[in-house]
Amino acid sequence: MDMLTSKIFLRKTKRGKVLKVVREHYLRDDLWCGSDLCKKCNQENSEVLDDAPLSSSTLCACPHYVVVDTNVVLHQIDVLESPAWKNVIVLQTVLEETRKRSTNNFKKLKEIMATRKDNFYVFVNEHHKDTYVERNPGESANDRNDRAIRKACSWYQTHLEESQQGRDKKKKIQIILLTQDFKNREQALKEGIPAYKVDEYVKSLKDFPDLQEKLAASHSEDNAENREPLFPEHWAPTRIMTGIKSGKLLQGIFHCSRENFLEGSVSVEGQDKSILLQGHASLNRAVDGDIVAVELLPEDKWTSPSGIVLEDQEDQDPGDQIEKEEALLSNSAKGKDRQPTGKVVGIIRRKWRQYCGILLPSVLAEGTRHLFVPAERKIPKIRIETRQAATLSSQKIIVAIDSWPRTSRYPLGHFVRALGNIGDKDTENEVLLLEHDVPHHSFPETVLACLPSMPWTISQEEVKRREDLRNLDICSVDPPGCTDIDDALHFRELSPNLYEIGVHIADVSHFVRPDTALDKEAANRGTTVYLVDRRIDMVPELLSSNLCSLRPDQERLAFSVIWEVTPNAEIKKTRFTKSVIRSRRAFTYAEAQCSIDDPLQQNELAKSLRGLNKLAKIMKKNRMDKGALQLSSPEIRFEVSTETNDPIDVISKPMLDTNSMVEEFMLLANISVAEHIFKHFPECAVLRRHPVPPESNFEPFLKAGKTQGFTLDVSSNKALAASLDAAVKPDNVYMNTMLRILATRCMMQAVYFSSGTVAPVDFYHYGLAAPIILISHLPFAGLYADLLVHRLLAVAIGADVTYADLLDRKCVQQLCNNLNYRHKMSQYAQRSSVALHTHLFFRHRVQDEDAYVLSVRQNALQVLIPKYGLEGSIYLKEKDEDSKPAFIYNPDVPSQTCGNITIRTFDRIVVQVSLDSKYVQHQKIAVHLVQPQIAGLSVEAIKTVNDSEPIPKKLKAGK
Amino acid sequence: MAEILLSEAEKAFIHHGVQDDLRCDGRTRLGYRPIILETGLVSNASGSSRLRLANSDVLVGVKVELASPLSEKPLEGRLEFFVDCSANATPEFEGRGGEDLANEICRFLQMSYMSGDTINLSELSVLAGQQCWVLYVDILILECGGNLYDTVSLAVKSALYTTQIPSIKVATMDGDQPELELSEDPYDTKRLNTQNVPCLVTLMKIGNHYLVDPTPEEECCSSSGVVVAVSGSKKITAVRKIGSGSLHPESLVSMLKTASEVGAVVNKILMKKLLEEETAGKTQKVGFMR
Repeated sequence: MDMLTSKIFLRKTKRGKVLKVVREHYLRDDLWCGSDLCKKCNQENSEVLDDAPLSSSTLCACPHYVVVDTNVVLHQIDVLESPAWKNVIVLQTVLEETRKRSTNNFKKLKEIMATRKDNFYVFVNEHHKDTYVERNPGESANDRNDRAIRKACSWYQTHLEESQQGRDKKKKIQIILLTQDFKNREQALKEGIPAYKVDEYVKSLKDFPDLQEKLAASHSEDNAENREPLFPEHWAPTRIMTGIKSGKLLQGIFHCSRENFLEGSVSVEGQDKSILLQGHASLNRAVDGDIVAVELLPEDKWTSPSGIVLEDQEDQDPGDQIEKEEALLSNSAKGKDRQPTGKVVGIIRRKWRQYCGILLPSVLAEGTRHLFVPAERKIPKIRIETRQAATLSSQKIIVAIDSWPRTSRYPLGHFVRALGNIGDKDTENEVLLLEHDVPHHSFPETVLACLPSMPWTISQEEVKRREDLRNLDICSVDPPGCTDIDDALHFRELSPNLYEIGVHIADVSHFVRPDTALDKEAANRGTTVYLVDRRIDMVPELLSSNLCSLRPDQERLAFSVIWEVTPNAEIKKTRFTKSVIRSRRAFTYAEAQCSIDDPLQQNELAKSLRGLNKLAKIMKKNRMDKGALQLSSPEIRFEVSTETNDPIDVISKPMLDTNSMVEEFMLLANISVAEHIFKHFPECAVLRRHPVPPESNFEPFLKAGKTQGFTLDVSSNKALAASLDAAVKPDNVYMNTMLRILATRCMMQAVYFSSGTVAPVDFYHYGLAAPIILISHLPFAGLYADLLVHRLLAVAIGADVTYADLLDRKCVQQLCNNLNYRHKMSQYAQRSSVALHTHLFFRHRVQDEDAYVLSVRQNALQVLIPKYGLEGSIYLKEKDEDSKPAFIYNPDVPSQTCGNITIRTFDRIVVQVSLDSKYVQHQKIAVHLVQPQIAGLSVEAIKTVNDSEPIPKKLKAGK
Repeated sequence: MAEILLSEAEKAFIHHGVQDDLRCDGRTRLGYRPIILETGLVSNASGSSRLRLANSDVLVGVKVELASPLSEKPLEGRLEFFVDCSANATPEFEGRGGEDLANEICRFLQMSYMSGDTINLSELSVLAGQQCWVLYVDILILECGGNLYDTVSLAVKSALYTTQIPSIKVATMDGDQPELELSEDPYDTKRLNTQNVPCLVTLMKIGNHYLVDPTPEEECCSSSGVVVAVSGSKKITAVRKIGSGSLHPESLVSMLKTASEVGAVVNKILMKKLLEEETAGKTQKVGFMR
């Protein structure tokens, strides 16, 4: 036998050349079968396949090993996760085909195999001299792979036969092939290999009756073909590709609208206006996040986003029918504000993942077809088949989408696993971590092995290498209950006209060395995620809350930035050093504020704080003068019950002088470090920028200002800051804050980047009005980006050595992309966590609260309740409810008028907040109007209403 | 070409041998030396062959590539020859030493393939005026043992015979850009019709006689000769005179006649052997491992 063959294939390059590629392929005779009973193979301790496997299948009672076909892995990966699978042979052919066809499933399969090493055996059949098959002329790649799989099966059979010659025939091990492919099964049976359909086999596993529910749905939908298609077909990939090349089609990412499930937009790269999509046919089965191909409609059919808020609100399963949507969409204002409108003609790449959510209560509880409602509003409901509906209906579950045929109103999916009971805080936390892709598993052994052993002390050599700042009066100021103190400050007078101030940051880079398991884990996590009741650490707790927490009266390693400044906050000298410090005290913001304000306190720390505070105020003023924006987003904090961990009260976070004092110095440190690093590493400094938002972003903001009679100038950040400061109304104090909230929403997302990849002109930080900035996020050590910065800075000051990846522009940019993603997700997770706690908070109460109208829609008011930072919608009309009073919508203002009451943006109203628990499964926060009173819409104020301010006059009925 | 030093006595011996139709190695004037041929041994080429005629050794690889056709021949693909004289053959080829010979062979090959009868170049057209196949024929001369023209031509013909051209479809036209679709099956290829591809026959005149397949010694004795390109259908597609001596018109006519006869036979035998090799199916490649 020739042990060297070659694989030959033709490939067309991007430039249209045809290449003949030849790969040498070596065959071996030392690949073992992995079976315990085999006497021929020289395997050592790697026998995965049992000597005498037990069969729990009624279909195939004799002991057997299972070989899975590629299509099983591709379509039924969730089934394979079950412990029911034992003695499975995974062929290399299957692995490679899976990798080519679906990286997702490949990853999953790898995971399954890694966790269940004792049950899955990978047989490298492609390199085995007896199982390698060459492609025959006229044979498709698929057929060849099928043949390779069959060949491996029959090889196993004959190979094992020799080792079990004496055995009873009933006890002889069979090799069975599981495949979904009809042709392959036929062929296998013809060749004498027992082959079954995977669903057939799974159903026959008598010990695992629940497993069949995980079977992907696509195959039981045999009768779907006969039904009338509900959606237009998707074009063939080649047609889409040529269309995109010629410019007839546009490619972009589909975003479903949060407010209207029948509306979405596609953001095309290089175009600032996104393309609007309306209606079922135009959306054409696109799911949020998919990369789609869009065809633009002729210009006379362009419309504008409809003003209505629309939820797919069927409380019951509507079956496969599409409701009449004209009514739902008809009112989009023709003529003005028209936007490029298009329709989806094909999906280029699905971005389906697994979704958390709940089951919709079905009319037929015994039925097997159920609708699943994802927690994410932008994802459509998913049709699944399960027989455990009764038990699952009270649980949060995870579902994966399998397909979305033209005949089905909803995508088809299957049940993956249950997370726990609805309303359980742990379950809900799990949901929000999963939904936001936050890695929250506990740290693996390899990572923990990188930690220093306890008890840990600073060695003498380490002290020698660093600057000894233990004699300084350093203190930290943080929110109450903070255990990861990552920054500290000091202040001292050098001479009457020269102060020394220092910012000390925990030296995480000392512990997290590049290229260790710990480093990789941290790079993947990217950031520490702060939830209301929980913190998901980026590095193990030993580091985050102990060794890298600048605890009072303990010696800690730090990275220090030390300035010499004049009393006018003019910086004379900046230097950076690695140091050893000992913090004198950990203040909370309030305590620090006390020390500053209390004239009786004359100790060193109080004096330092005062000095710092004074300087901070000057620096802030300087910054404001340069055009830094003071934006706003409501921030709240929960008082959590110590026993149940449930929230018992909500308070807005107070803003004290000391907050902004710490911020100011962190910012200063930030800018100093950024400048220093950029000077030394112009190609690969990790920076953060806040791009100038395009003018069009400000439209809703300007409109809102106009309704209140303010002309807002958005031409530059300075002008914006000035006009925001000017927009004050004495009778509506909160209005200014509202404007700032709106302005915040117009901003671009700040992003991390590597300096070599962006032109220096774009470094500017819009919000902070700083020409160059690092990671402007203030908890300084919770981010992996900080770690990179520490390393760069350490190299820049000669305290550490560099390594290849640190200076590789591409590597750094890749890291940055991950960081951006993780950072965004962590913020979303944080928000969801707040929402979840608000939810829990209202579980047992109904409250009347002040609220402000954020925006006025055609059929609803979006309101903000500042006390809880909560947003909600008050529906003014519903599709088939005539009982509600008639509102007249004026889109120009915009305003809603009913009788003599007019409601405009920013108006103050009173609303009643409660938990709508009409369905136990699907609780949501409900907001009802209390004041102004409109018959038929508003609800009675509850007795305990405690607000005293009367409603401003203009809202009241009168004249 | 490498000159061999021969004494007058040796030359006289060769002369007399040719006169008596018995050459030094026992051949008649129209006898060839043994030929060893193997095809398909360069796996990354689309077609390849190695041919050894006594001590002349040639390796040929054919590479197919897509290109736009020449504007004067929008419906045809084309062949491009390139000869490389390896310094393995003789130290004189080192550096640019072999270039003159290489160009000479190259030009003559190009000339002999120019006739419309030899190869149907329209088979190589993919999309009229837009895309066509270009066959790059790379010839590597590894050893010179006389009669290089014949050796090269036979090797080229064999390589072209085995050349697999990927089948390609014009999927869509869009604006001016054709979208070509490559067949996924590597076996889905087409072959050229090489029936009429010419073989070169070198006739050397020694004394009053002429002979085929001269050895280097014989070449040394001859002052003139012709190289004739003979297609499979016995047609002469190109002629070239070699050597410094002159030829009488009468003997030239007779030489051309003989050449076309010999060429037809050589062609026929080569085609037969190639077919035999092909039908034998996959066998172990020998290559240079002998």
